[in-house]
Amino acid sequence: MARGRRRRDDDFIDDDEEDEGLMDDEEEDEEEYDGGKGGRKRRRSEFIDDVAVEDDEEEEDDDDDEEDDGGRRGKKPKRRSGSEFFELEAVVDSDEEEEEEEGEDDFINDAGADLPDDDGNRRLPHRPILMQEDQEDVEEMERRVKERYSKSNQIDYAEDATDVEQQALLPSVKDPKLWMVKCAACKGLRNIFSSAKVMIVPIKEMTDVLSVESKAVDLSRDTWVRMKIGIYKGDLAKVVDVDNVRQRVTVKLIPRVDLQTLANKLEGRDIGKKKTFVPPPRFFNNDEAREMHIRVDRRRDKDTGEYFEMVDGLMFKDGFLYKTVSVKSISSQNIQPTFDELEKFRKPGEDADGDVASLSTLFANRKKGHFMKGDAVIVVRGDLKNLMGWVEKVEEDTVHIRPKMTGLPKTLAFNEKELCKYFKPGDHVKVVSGVQEGVTGMVVKVEGHVLIILSDTTKEHLRVFADHVVESSEITTGVTRVGEYELHDLVLLDNMTFGVIIRVESEAFQVLKGVPDRPEVVLVKLREIKCKIERRSNAKDRSNNIVSIKDVVRVVEGPCRGKQGPVEHIHRGFLFIHDRHHLEHAGYICAKAQSCVVVGGSQGNNDRKGVDSSKSRFGTFRSSPNILQSPRGLPPRGPPADFGGGYRGGGRGHDSLVGKTIKIKSGPFKGYRGRVKEVKGPLVRIELDSQMKIVSVNRKDIADTTGVATPFRDTRNGMGSDPPMHPSRTPLHPYQTPMRDPGATPIHDGMRTPMHDRAWAPMSPARDSWEDANPATWGTSPQYQLGTPGRTYEAPTPGSGWASTPGGNYSDSATPRESSYGSAPSPYLPSTPTAQPMTPSSASYLPGTPGGQPMTPGNVGLDVMSPTIGGESEGNWYMPDILVNAIRAGGDSHIGVVKDVLMDGSCKVALGTFGNGETLTFPPSDLEVVRPKKSDKIKIMNGTLRGVTGKLIGIDGSDGIVKLDDTYEVKILDMEILAKLSTK
Amino acid sequence: MFFHITLERNMQLHPRHFGPHLRDKLVAKLMKDVEGTCSGRHGFVVAITGVEDIGKGLIREGTGFVTFPVKYQAVVFRPFKGEILEAVVTMVNKMGFFAEAGPVQIFVSNHLIPDDMEFQSGDMPNYTTSDGSVKIQKDSEVRLKIIGTRVDATEIFCIGTIKDDFLGVINDPGATA
Repeated sequence: MARGRRRRDDDFIDDDEEDEGLMDDEEEDEEEYDGGKGGRKRRRSEFIDDVAVEDDEEEEDDDDDEEDDGGRRGKKPKRRSGSEFFELEAVVDSDEEEEEEEGEDDFINDAGADLPDDDGNRRLPHRPILMQEDQEDVEEMERRVKERYSKSNQIDYAEDATDVEQQALLPSVKDPKLWMVKCAACKGLRNIFSSAKVMIVPIKEMTDVLSVESKAVDLSRDTWVRMKIGIYKGDLAKVVDVDNVRQRVTVKLIPRVDLQTLANKLEGRDIGKKKTFVPPPRFFNNDEAREMHIRVDRRRDKDTGEYFEMVDGLMFKDGFLYKTVSVKSISSQNIQPTFDELEKFRKPGEDADGDVASLSTLFANRKKGHFMKGDAVIVVRGDLKNLMGWVEKVEEDTVHIRPKMTGLPKTLAFNEKELCKYFKPGDHVKVVSGVQEGVTGMVVKVEGHVLIILSDTTKEHLRVFADHVVESSEITTGVTRVGEYELHDLVLLDNMTFGVIIRVESEAFQVLKGVPDRPEVVLVKLREIKCKIERRSNAKDRSNNIVSIKDVVRVVEGPCRGKQGPVEHIHRGFLFIHDRHHLEHAGYICAKAQSCVVVGGSQGNNDRKGVDSSKSRFGTFRSSPNILQSPRGLPPRGPPADFGGGYRGGGRGHDSLVGKTIKIKSGPFKGYRGRVKEVKGPLVRIELDSQMKIVSVNRKDIADTTGVATPFRDTRNGMGSDPPMHPSRTPLHPYQTPMRDPGATPIHDGMRTPMHDRAWAPMSPARDSWEDANPATWGTSPQYQLGTPGRTYEAPTPGSGWASTPGGNYSDSATPRESSYGSAPSPYLPSTPTAQPMTPSSASYLPGTPGGQPMTPGNVGLDVMSPTIGGESEGNWYMPDILVNAIRAGGDSHIGVVKDVLMDGSCKVALGTFGNGETLTFPPSDLEVVRPKKSDKIKIMNGTLRGVTGKLIGIDGSDGIVKLDDTYEVKILDMEILAKLSTK
Repeated sequence: MFFHITLERNMQLHPRHFGPHLRDKLVAKLMKDVEGTCSGRHGFVVAITGVEDIGKGLIREGTGFVTFPVKYQAVVFRPFKGEILEAVVTMVNKMGFFAEAGPVQIFVSNHLIPDDMEFQSGDMPNYTTSDGSVKIQKDSEVRLKIIGTRVDATEIFCIGTIKDDFLGVINDPGATA
């Protein structure tokens, strides 16, 4: 291939020589042509003859013809220029032909042979007109011409060509017309008139036809250009030499030479015509070539005196290929070399070439309005090089700057090309053009006209031209959004995989997949993303604290151990943590929730510590931990987060169900059995036993085959997809703590007992709503759903007088409940579904509902009481006259009345509601206090009021409102310390 | 630079907090909301030192939330261009190193590290002078000059240099260890 190319080059050169000959010819007179090639020339000159028959001198100097003045000026130049026009075309033609096949030259020869006839034809139409006009002024013209050439042309030109005169030169209706002929028609000139369409050139456009657009782009050395044809098409090249006369340039390229092919060819072996393969650009290496037995000649260029390695007619130097090509085969406009390309061009250790941003390139692509007032600039050329200043005014190409240096005029005017924008390290900039367009960052270093900036998003260094950036305080990442997906969104890729978008490329995203152990990044197309996951969910960390979005967590195991940061996304128990110190993957880390712990965040014990420390530091704001607990207890976006996480928040329910064997009780898979693989919101994925497949089934459609054996709570959680219950969990925590601590022995046990014996009065409202629920009703009972919100708003309002209107708040609530309470101590009616939601507990635990949250009275009561509870020894719990639930050896429990408390803590209990049965002694662990209901007589078992009796006039969550018998005072006390008094 | 200034903020308080400890709750919420935040004007709020004034609350219609104008004093930290800071190196890579001065993260590019310091990769990446006498690695303390700042909604990011007189390592954990 290379040989073929070379031959063509040679041909080009030949052509050029001929061409040159032609050009010489043109400058002389017509008698000098030779046969075929002269055809063109002759035509032209004859044509000119026609125009200015009498004027030989003028013929000699084509360029000056516009200069004529006087009456005939208008026509004559035009005519002559007309000829010039044709000539131009001809020249262009010849050039183009050079690029093509040799056959074209033949064509010209042929055409030339026919020419005389054509000329004869052509002359006819022109002659009459010309003759008329020309002959009138022959003498005058002669005179004028003589006059003109007696002077120096150039000066005259400059002086004479005022605007007005130039205007006068413009063609008018009186002037001969210009015709547009299709170029194809020129091919065989004989047919020029018979060809179909000859169009007149509008007068206005006549001048355009003649104006010679200076195509002579100032190609200078060291300009970056791109190749337009051949295997180097699109490649960047650097101009090393320009031959304006021959319209050829020598460029430096990174060679695309396949040495193997070359070697084969040189050895005369067969070269398959595999044109498809374009060798990658690679520097030429002498040694490699020698190894392949390719002869490398070393020659000295006769002009430059430089040495080149010649291989098969190709010239190499320093690994670059030096190639002489026609100006037409390169493009020099709008060349924006990328840094990669420039880097490649810079051979290692070659710093002299270091001004990568060669100025000529830099300026080639400046947009209009490049400089703006206030821009900091530096002078890059001329005497004032390196002078800094600020742009004051911009006028077209001239920029007025206010120099930084004192002692200079206020403003200096510079050509735009002498200036370059200037930035200081630390400036925050935005790239406005080039490959990195849109990126923002801070300037780290300035290397001449190249800035090194630190990108805001990737924290990577980028090299950009100073000219391509503007100062900006804006912070962007380039593109951050494609379609509906944005950087850092959590997206679902397919049913099982999900991830966070960590980088947006054009039309594709980099996604950090939600897998533990190792970071896995995939590149996905827009269409491969299923959807955005916007649902907020929670997860539980290692110590079962609830993790919600924005909580700061620390990874405690796995490869990312030690990393710490706020949680940005939670999905299926995976956390996506953003650690700003983590540079990879845009700072995102994926970890299992179970491998992380919440740091100080919104939950858990750490929280309390945090508060304490702040309290100690900030003593004036005295606040008990418990009070703070409530606001803190809710994560920043507490309610929504909790609600959204309803299904998940019940981590226990989730966990307990997974792995269970269940039976599907309704829906299309009714009757199937299977194992629960995963719980996804309201859906449960079940692996069917009978078929090898996993199906998604609504939670409501499944039934536990294990049935009764399943722990109660689990069933409830699994069954009752009851959002309102779960949220209660969060605030419930603080309350539970004090209850549990002291209750370790008696109360705790007590809590369990009634589970089996539903006839029991509820232990505490919170409990009873759970325990008494019939599993079947949970899932299906609509009353439950309805009841909750309704009750919620009717929950006690503070200050509405708990004491004064006992039960008043509740009176408007559903009757079943009233009755059930009223009928105490008769067994509580657990089956009444409406009663469940009525319990203040469920209402008051809804954190999100205004008013539903227990108001201060309730809270205060707890806060005051709880420390006391914790501090009390449990031996003193039981007191005479209270009703207890005693478990006898057989496991069945009986109601009884405590008659006496013995020293070891055990009690003498008289069985029966009224204490008229047999009297037995029970250890405290077998006893359970009977919780009072509203309107019951009570005895206070703990705290300062221990032993005092009273009447329970209301229940608010875990607090009871008690009217003391002695003082008629109304107290709010924890239900835990209230015991039902025997009504004997 | 640290400043002790008075700031104002409108706090929204949930009605559930109304009661005898309202003020405490308000203050606790203020601390929780404000401490650790960052604004472009004042920088990081390091700590609230006192509450000057809590204005009259205004109940929001519909939500029941109450808005209190709160005036408080706080210590704020804001880095400035040209400021000299001492910081702890948190990460070293071939592009430079990251250091932290309290909440502020500072990046020192390898272009802004003296030329005689070279990057050494390995288990403990570091920048070391050719004679090995000075070493910058994780947990080194450096004195640096801030040359640029960028303020985000939640953090301030700075670019620093140690390519200047009297800047560089002030304590070397490697030497003591």
